[in-house]
Amino acid sequence: MIQNFQVNSKQIDKIKEITSEEKDFRIKNLEVFKASGFPNKKLEDWKFSDFKQIIESNFKELDFEKVSSKLNKKDLLKDFEHNYIFLVNGNFHSSNFSFEEKNKIKIKSCNKNIDNKVSKNPLICLNNALAENGYFLEVEKNYKFKKILVIYNLFSKDIKNKILNNKNIIKLGENSELHVMEYTINESKFKFINNVYENIILAKNAKFKNLYMQNNKSDGFFHKFLKTELFYNSSYSSLIFSSGLKFNKLDIECDLIEDKCECNILSALFLNKNEHQEIKTNIKHLAPNCKSYQRIKKVLNSDSKGIYQGKIYVKDISQKTDAYQLSKALLLNDDAEFNSKPELEIYADDVKCSHGSTSGNIDEDSLYYLMSRGLSRKDSTKLLIKGFLNDVVEYIKNPKIKKFIENKLERQIHGY
Amino acid sequence: MLEIKNLQASINNKSILKGLNLTINPGELHAIMGPNGSGKSTLANVLSGKNGYEISGKMNFMGENLIKLPIEERAQKGIFLAFQYPLEIPGVNTNNFLKTSLNSVRKAKGEKELDSISFLKLVKEKSSELGIDEKILSRQLNVGFSGGEKKKNEILQMKILDPSFSILDETDSGLDIDALKIVANGVNSSRTSKKSFLVITHYQRLLDYIKPDFVHVLSDGKIIKTGCSELAQELEKKGYQKIS
Repeated sequence: MIQNFQVNSKQIDKIKEITSEEKDFRIKNLEVFKASGFPNKKLEDWKFSDFKQIIESNFKELDFEKVSSKLNKKDLLKDFEHNYIFLVNGNFHSSNFSFEEKNKIKIKSCNKNIDNKVSKNPLICLNNALAENGYFLEVEKNYKFKKILVIYNLFSKDIKNKILNNKNIIKLGENSELHVMEYTINESKFKFINNVYENIILAKNAKFKNLYMQNNKSDGFFHKFLKTELFYNSSYSSLIFSSGLKFNKLDIECDLIEDKCECNILSALFLNKNEHQEIKTNIKHLAPNCKSYQRIKKVLNSDSKGIYQGKIYVKDISQKTDAYQLSKALLLNDDAEFNSKPELEIYADDVKCSHGSTSGNIDEDSLYYLMSRGLSRKDSTKLLIKGFLNDVVEYIKNPKIKKFIENKLERQIHGY
Repeated sequence: MLEIKNLQASINNKSILKGLNLTINPGELHAIMGPNGSGKSTLANVLSGKNGYEISGKMNFMGENLIKLPIEERAQKGIFLAFQYPLEIPGVNTNNFLKTSLNSVRKAKGEKELDSISFLKLVKEKSSELGIDEKILSRQLNVGFSGGEKKKNEILQMKILDPSFSILDETDSGLDIDALKIVANGVNSSRTSKKSFLVITHYQRLLDYIKPDFVHVLSDGKIIKTGCSELAQELEKKGYQKIS
């Protein structure tokens, strides 16, 4: 069966406009991927998400051929004003920055590779080998976006057994600000894989906020490696609400390269039947006086599986580091599973690093209290679930966006 | 309204209520006093339907057998328990909770759900009556509330849900004298010829402000003595040991 997953180096020949050097790099990466195959649980980073096994039990064959990125209709969100980028099957399609000064923003399709190292992660190698047609977005220095940018990440009806590789780059100039919502819309009823490598570079004093949300449930298998590089006094924050996916692994590497950087990663997920979601972080405090904050909340229903692998690395020179991580899981069912692996690697001596992880069931006494006020067991449970996830939602400052996220969460929980 | 006959309750094979008899008629306020561990809170829990108890005997409310009724249906039918230790529910906004709870009770009664404006009006009226700062109602339910605020919040819930039978489980404990008066007034102003109360307390002090029609002494799972409000004063003087 595995033979069907073989990818031919001819795929690389089809990629347009690349230098011979780049082509060699792609071929080298493909060789590494071919030798290792999809990552399995023997790799420490994939200990709780045996991707190889998951792929083999869900796909009989994989199709590496390019897909069309035609778009019939743009269904835009009406809940709040926004700029947008459309990605169709991972490929950059179009953009609209009607609320902004257009000369301050660069956007184009991206075929470039980001670094020239061969990764230990086979999926990154595969991406390095085959990625094309992602997007490159650059915001000029001193420009602050007036409205949120929604990245519509649409997967079309016809994709089946496809494996889609894309690379995206977001660059923020000095003192610039950008708020993004990545909004995935899935029209395909079939299984497919989306393998993304995203690079976010924040120059001095830049502020970047990102929010992940899905429109609907999906049989897609998503892997995203996110490499963020933060320079002096810049800040990155990510709010992850991407429930409803069959498989999702978000691997965030955050390099705090210069003084006074700040990184916040928060997540509120409600996972249902057949859902597997991993958040893996590697926060690297490479300079003094940086702050990092992680708060991961997962509600696990049915046979869902939630994983959090959170690493904090503090380099010897990174004094006055303030790092915090907390993961909490609420298990609604005996079949649900939560794995948490906090890792702290600290080489400086004047730092504040704390971590905690809890998992438990719905508290029966709390249920009793709510039910004694006339609420059914189901409604009381829903209220407790919402309450559990609420502190992450509270981080959203824009009231319209907050309302939008609350409604989405309400809908996810409603089915419980 | 409430008729309890030979009620026995045990938890984890430990027998707590051992044949309790109690009848409460509409408009009456009964006080139950008793030493620690005599079964007062168990009685409150069993009446409101908390899970985990083995129960036998008879427990009728408005002619209906309560024993098989789930917690929320008892609340919808008009039984209210003010908790001894109100729970903190993180992430749940107090006002939203009050509204959801009121509307589920109204819905069960076949009444129209209250819209936000009428609800807020009702909350404003009831909370000012109890001297509750409205700001705390936009906070998470009981989270970071002081002991007094929690107890007042219980009485506020009682006033809003407007039950026909309220059980107050040691609502007076942890209250200062001013808060005690406010809570007592809250109860007194709710008293009508149709509404009944069961007040569980350790101290006679509360009964100076809320005049009971009957006082019962609960000891080792049974009511061993019943009297009028003077019984409470006697207990205060002599202690439970001398009563039998």
